[in-house]
Amino acid sequence: MRTGSGSVATITSQAAHPRTAPGWRVKRRRAYLLGLVPALAVLTLVTAAPSLYLLVTSLTPLSLVNPETAWDFSGPHRNYLSLLEDERFRNSVWIQVKLSVFTVGLQLLAGLAVAMLLNARWRFVEVVRTTFLIPMVLPPIVVAIIWKVLYTPDISPIHHLLASIGHPAGAMITSPDWALWAIIIADVWEWFPFTMLMLLAALQIMPDEPLEAARIDGAGAWQLFLRIILPLLRPTLLVAGLFRLIESIKAFPLIYILTEGGPGTVTEVTNYYAFLQAFNFSYLGFASAITVVMVAATFLLSWLIIRMVGMEVDVE
Amino acid sequence: MSKRDAGARRTGFWRSVAAHGSVLLLILVLLFPFLWLLQMSLKPEKEIFVFPPRLLFTPTVEHYIAIWTGQFQRSFTNSTIVSLTSTMLSLLLGVPAAYSLSRGRFGAESQIALWVLATRMAPPIAFTIPFFLAYRHLEWLDTLHGLIVIYLTFNLSLVIWMMRTFFDSIPRALDEAALVDGAGVWGTFFRVILPLSAPGFAATAIFCFLLAWNDFFFALILTRTQAMTAPVAVVNFMNYEGWQWGRIAAGGTMVMLPVVVFSILVRNYMVRGLTAGAVKG
Repeated sequence: MRTGSGSVATITSQAAHPRTAPGWRVKRRRAYLLGLVPALAVLTLVTAAPSLYLLVTSLTPLSLVNPETAWDFSGPHRNYLSLLEDERFRNSVWIQVKLSVFTVGLQLLAGLAVAMLLNARWRFVEVVRTTFLIPMVLPPIVVAIIWKVLYTPDISPIHHLLASIGHPAGAMITSPDWALWAIIIADVWEWFPFTMLMLLAALQIMPDEPLEAARIDGAGAWQLFLRIILPLLRPTLLVAGLFRLIESIKAFPLIYILTEGGPGTVTEVTNYYAFLQAFNFSYLGFASAITVVMVAATFLLSWLIIRMVGMEVDVE
Repeated sequence: MSKRDAGARRTGFWRSVAAHGSVLLLILVLLFPFLWLLQMSLKPEKEIFVFPPRLLFTPTVEHYIAIWTGQFQRSFTNSTIVSLTSTMLSLLLGVPAAYSLSRGRFGAESQIALWVLATRMAPPIAFTIPFFLAYRHLEWLDTLHGLIVIYLTFNLSLVIWMMRTFFDSIPRALDEAALVDGAGVWGTFFRVILPLSAPGFAATAIFCFLLAWNDFFFALILTRTQAMTAPVAVVNFMNYEGWQWGRIAAGGTMVMLPVVVFSILVRNYMVRGLTAGAVKG
């Protein structure tokens, strides 16, 4: 990566040419800074400043109905206390946990199965790979619309097919028992290609030697998979899982279009609850507190998993 | 695992048929919902409700004409303007920054990396609430520039991160040679390094465009009518105009077509772009 560093050292140590004198190095550093500073300034303005503002807002009872609540810091901890007692918030966290566990778990399983299947070097594997990109690059809102069609009985080919073979089914998205599964299925369809492509890439750069050695020792296909391939894939599985976990906390378009958090609150994840509090009920202070907790939880989870990944890589 | 392997050779004809069959089935599962929407957009409204569906029907563009002569045209234009401008701004600011990070050795790379990663991890609502409050004061709600600015939150991070990995893969010896020849830092950048990273640059640009184009959440909250983008407009066909499936399908198709075309162009960089920030390229 730093291939040029050696030559810089030799040239500058000679210090014969004016351009290699120490003044030149300062100039160069300044030129690099010139490229970096505008971007960092804008990045600070659009990310760091809003984050701070979010934190400040979470300490106020800000509601758009009462403008004077904007700078009321009389009870900075109040939002967080009411969060602890808020039944609907706790429910939303539990739904989030269910949604995340099932979507990430199923995406990893399906991704792994399909990656193993596609790892054979077929002629048309390139076509297949491109096909796999489609669900995840489609605008999330279009994915949501597609599934809305598939889940709406009078227009859904799936419902008509089920009815024609004598198993008419009710609408999943309006059933308290099935609504969350409807979201999970759509989300897995949209994103298992992502875990699949990451795992496929890892499989294709996997060294052949351990596999050959195990095969010579008489290991069967299952043993090869469990003892050799799976351990080698673990870092990739963790990274892919981490990515999907973080994204699952952001879940929005599918829920907004398919169920609007309902029926009741059975698909109301924390992100959606924060959205409702902020932009339907106008309790921006309270919504900010929910969001701060959500962001903190995301960072904490990621940190824990990154530490795990780090250890895995070290072990290797 | 591969064809040459002994295990695979033993599997024989039927297992190969089963494998090919399951791959075909998979492709069908992946493409079917997408193709279904496409055919819906080309059917007359009555035909949409006919089951079993007729494979041979006379395609019609009536839904496309209907939405294009309505409000949708404006939203589509808004989406195009916002996505293009946000992409150009992000590249303008982010590409030099990425080059500086790659070559400058400031000793703060890992802190900046962490920051960029954090902005990618935070749920959009974390930015939406403060931006919404600020825009109310600035009277930037429902404006195109308001959207362009908030799209920088994700696009600028993306550019810095993706382009850095492309610059890192270009040997520094090339910079040094140009610098010794008397080209300044930025002369070197424009004349030597940037042309070499053209494919990466193009992929990054397309990524930025797609992220902005695909955004729904920010546009839903920060726009009303004037600056409404195409994804929000399509959803409005559902909520306010009473379930005209043909129009919904046509609008959805128009929103997704540029995405599908662009994605196929940059397919080799796709996973890299989606994981930018966590996996060092």
